[in-house]
Amino acid sequence: MIGVAPPVYDPAAPTTATTLPVGAATTVRAYVAELFRRHRRAFLLLVAVNTVAVVASMVGPYLLGGLVERVSDGARELHLGLTAGLFVLALAVQAVFVRQVRLRGAMLGERMLADLREDFLVRSVGLPPGVLERAGTGDLLSRITTDIDRLANAMREAVPQLAIGGVWALLLLGGLVVTAPPLAAAVLLAVPVLVAGCRWYFKRAPSGYRSEAAGYAAVSSALAETVDASRTVEAHRLGPRRVALSERRIKEWTAWERYTLWLRSVLFPVINAVHVIVLGSVLLAGGAFVLRGWIGVGQLTTGALVAQMLVDPVNLILRWYDEVQVAQVSLARLVGVRDIEPDAGDASLAPDGRDVHADRVHFGYREGVDVLRNVSLEVAPGTRLALVGPSGAGKSTLGRLLAGIYAPRDGRITLGGAELSRMPAERVRSHVALVNQEHHVFVGSLRDNLLLARSGATDAELWAALGAVDADAWARALDDDLDTEVGSGGLALTPAQAQQIALARLVLADPHTLVLDEATSLLDPRAARHLERSLARVLDGRTVVAIAHRLHTAHDADVIAVVDDGRISELGSHDELVTADGAYAALWRSWHG
Amino acid sequence: MQIQDLPYPDPGVPDARSGPRFLWWLWLNQLGGQLKSLAWGLLHFVSVSALPFCVGLAVQAVVDRSGTRLALTGALLLLCGTGIALGETFLHRAAVTNWITAATRVQQLLARKAAQLGSALTMRVAAGEVVAVSTGDVERIGWFVEAVSRFTAAALTVVVVGAGLLVYQPALGVVVAVGLPVVALAVLPLLPRATRRADVQREKAGRATELASDTVAGLRVLRGIGGEELFLDRYRRASQEVRHAAVRSARMWSLISALQVLLPGLLLIAVVWHGVQLARQGRVTVGELVTVYSAVMILNYPLRHFEEIAMAYSFSRPSARRTAGVLSLERSTATEGNRAPEVPDGDLYDPGTGLLAPAGRLTAVVCGDPDAAGRLAERLGGHPAEPGRSVLLGGVPLDELPLDSARTAVLVQDKDPVLLSGTLRELLDVPASGTVRAADALDAAQCGDVLDALVQGSLGAADPMDARITERGRSLSGGQRQRLALARSLITDPEVLVLDEPTSAVDSHTEARIADGLRRLRSGRTTVVFTSSPLLLDRADRVALVAEGKVVAVGVHRELIVSEPRYRAVVTRETDDELAAADEAALVGARQELEEIEESA
Repeated sequence: MIGVAPPVYDPAAPTTATTLPVGAATTVRAYVAELFRRHRRAFLLLVAVNTVAVVASMVGPYLLGGLVERVSDGARELHLGLTAGLFVLALAVQAVFVRQVRLRGAMLGERMLADLREDFLVRSVGLPPGVLERAGTGDLLSRITTDIDRLANAMREAVPQLAIGGVWALLLLGGLVVTAPPLAAAVLLAVPVLVAGCRWYFKRAPSGYRSEAAGYAAVSSALAETVDASRTVEAHRLGPRRVALSERRIKEWTAWERYTLWLRSVLFPVINAVHVIVLGSVLLAGGAFVLRGWIGVGQLTTGALVAQMLVDPVNLILRWYDEVQVAQVSLARLVGVRDIEPDAGDASLAPDGRDVHADRVHFGYREGVDVLRNVSLEVAPGTRLALVGPSGAGKSTLGRLLAGIYAPRDGRITLGGAELSRMPAERVRSHVALVNQEHHVFVGSLRDNLLLARSGATDAELWAALGAVDADAWARALDDDLDTEVGSGGLALTPAQAQQIALARLVLADPHTLVLDEATSLLDPRAARHLERSLARVLDGRTVVAIAHRLHTAHDADVIAVVDDGRISELGSHDELVTADGAYAALWRSWHG
Repeated sequence: MQIQDLPYPDPGVPDARSGPRFLWWLWLNQLGGQLKSLAWGLLHFVSVSALPFCVGLAVQAVVDRSGTRLALTGALLLLCGTGIALGETFLHRAAVTNWITAATRVQQLLARKAAQLGSALTMRVAAGEVVAVSTGDVERIGWFVEAVSRFTAAALTVVVVGAGLLVYQPALGVVVAVGLPVVALAVLPLLPRATRRADVQREKAGRATELASDTVAGLRVLRGIGGEELFLDRYRRASQEVRHAAVRSARMWSLISALQVLLPGLLLIAVVWHGVQLARQGRVTVGELVTVYSAVMILNYPLRHFEEIAMAYSFSRPSARRTAGVLSLERSTATEGNRAPEVPDGDLYDPGTGLLAPAGRLTAVVCGDPDAAGRLAERLGGHPAEPGRSVLLGGVPLDELPLDSARTAVLVQDKDPVLLSGTLRELLDVPASGTVRAADALDAAQCGDVLDALVQGSLGAADPMDARITERGRSLSGGQRQRLALARSLITDPEVLVLDEPTSAVDSHTEARIADGLRRLRSGRTTVVFTSSPLLLDRADRVALVAEGKVVAVGVHRELIVSEPRYRAVVTRETDDELAAADEAALVGARQELEEIEESA
């Protein structure tokens, strides 16, 4: 076998557009510097403890060297008792400090890792709602799972171990220089081989390991999907195809395993050669030096033993170096979130009244492509406005603009005279809430799931909110009432119950204006009847903008706006629009039969 | 087995009666690889252990001032170096290959098991177990199976070197032979506790990751309504718990590290103490003393494998047990059927409810109870989870056909059809009759805007068919997902297509167009739609109302909405109160109501 080329298919290559920025080299460097500054004391302590451990480990070979010297000289007094005493002492010191090195290393690594993951979540949670809507949460999710995982290894093991290995190797070399300077020169013979081998290896290894890890993850996720979609797989008779897919993923993964195995097949002999060169040159050159009388036998013995000890730190450094390289990429993805400006908003802006007003609004997600064109709307307090229209016409976009999530490209959207997009997100949401199809039930207790809407709420208030949405009956029947664990891993709630929780949160948050974006569309229409009744009670007296996909919702609204191709094509009450006999009237007739 | 030949054409039939039996089965199945690993391992460890002799010889040569012997030592060293390099590289290759082949075999077995179990996997426990085995257990099992021969090589080396020292220098060798087993076994009692702590740490880390990803998944909700601090605090607590558990675990491992320094060190001191006295009495030479010292130092390396194998076993034992459990799961009902495979055609009839779907027609089913509707839809496809009286297709009981024939004849698209990740082309590439083109199906299901969204969200794909769909189609809205799932079912073009609420998340404008597209594309084929949408019901040839497990009314939409209050209640979504009132007033006000409806129509 003369080598293995990297496989063509790379499982680590991005498949969807990266929606959030990746940190630039300067951002990453600045972050690492900050991390070091924050933990400088722990770092220095680790180096100090490590130095003691390594120095203690060299005492043994040094003492043996002395003994050998004296024995071979035929000396009478060997001070054997003293030597053995020193030996035991050094050993005890070494053992204690080796323990400390491992422990301090782990403590430092864990602390940095905890900092990193907490920092990241703090940043993520502060992202502007507009960025989240646009980017989706997929990219963020892969960062907090995959990238944090990859960094965990690096922080927990690689960084402390590299620090240890570096100090260790330097001290051993230093010890060699002190005991027998000519031997240190002999060690240098191995350096060019080591450098050449490592350059070749580390140019290829990090990306290779990244792809290998991604390939292995793809094997598991193919199976996880088969399991998750088991009903669909059986209904469409996809079983054999799923097996074939799993096997294709295995083939792709093992191709990368084979490639990285080849990389190591080159590296290992190089490292072994380096070790043999070091030991050989110390023994042979050192032996020649002794024969010439430049150094003593004791120095040779100590030197040979220290040279043998060099194996460990060198292996340690090589073992962890590529982890750190792989981790750099993940780190860049994590700190990339810091590059997004949190929009502070203008804290002095506050709405005066509850009128929602859109004035000649233009908006587009991409340059030059407007999704909304010249939209003007007036929603008086307490009005129920329904937005209807075909998919892709711009209803949801208009809803998001009215909830202050996006800023219009041109024109203004105001609440009580104050421009929504310039207000801080925290202020906006105390007035306007957007409820979409996402009825996320968080992992945690039922209480936590409600408290997020009003952090200081008492249990009585929580029960009242559940009661307002007809959810108190099933909630009381739960084993632990409000303390019942729900969400993934806990009690699985039905979509209808999840919907009720979302509504109960609304009751607690108590905004005066609501934008409902097909809030009930994921529910079975046959199950929705009770919910709609509760919803009506919750919404009573509030301004409601409902993006309706069921015409009976539109029928109940005060005003209906038909959105078609980015414009409002019809506006008026149900009766007016039916009388006008336009697009809405046609649809109503076919719907109502 | 070479890595490039993987995956296996057939992973074989595992012995899944118990965890240890499964491990043994895996090991036996890679006997060749294990022997290879053993052979290269022996070469490697023996060569490494020979290094101290070189050191001793060199020192002795210098003491004796012999340049020739020094040069000879150099040659011996070169030989050892070659042995070490060859041995290590090929041991590593053999070991990694064994690990990969074992992991591959288990993954392949799991994939086959999952495909065979099919819908039986909807039981949450079973599904979770399969995924847990695939993501965590496979690695541990592979590790242990692979480590067996590597450990054997290391153990043999320790024995050989110990015996060698006894022969080479009996007086010192005895000390080593007594000390070695103590050093090798001393830390073993600590390992179970250390692995337990590592498990606790892993569990807490998993919990923290779960909290973080859960917070991120619900981030739009949080940003929309508040509560960020609550969740941040919770995560900080979880994250600090991970840190404490990790440090606790590190305490144990650092204790083990210290012992690994201390015990061999004490043995070294004993060797030196004893050896120097022997050297003074002239019973050992200086070179021999250095050799023994250096040999003890280097024996640490193979000795570490004693701990590794103990750890690997304690980690992999529960994993193997779980894997064996998953691999011995079976479907609760037989799938072979007792009839010859055939794909019947004709009317679809359910004797349980009395539901009849005439061949070649579009039948709509209205059912007030969504769960009952779901169960009925499942039964219509044959081989349901709860067996009962079988549904008949053209007079043939579907439950008695082989599962594959039944699924070929009837495709049931349930309420929550899952989009599998991959390109759109892959998604739509399902076993099909071949008569319906993808473009026509996408058109009928009104997927135009979905295609645009897919192209926009993907990386450099101009053709929507090359655009990628993420897992479960999460990047798409609920309505978009439903339409793609419908297009997929239309492409399949089965004899009978059963759809459960296929357009519940689609807006009325689009739903009306889908209803037309569905009729057009399925003309002449048998279709059953569970729905309560007037837009779909109005386009059905025949509408059946199911209540309390029986068909209670059959007709067309316009008829039923007038004549059947229960039907009207479900379809127009009057509330229960209104329904009760309507029932009371049914007789008196029937005529009046009729007029109202005619007015509003």
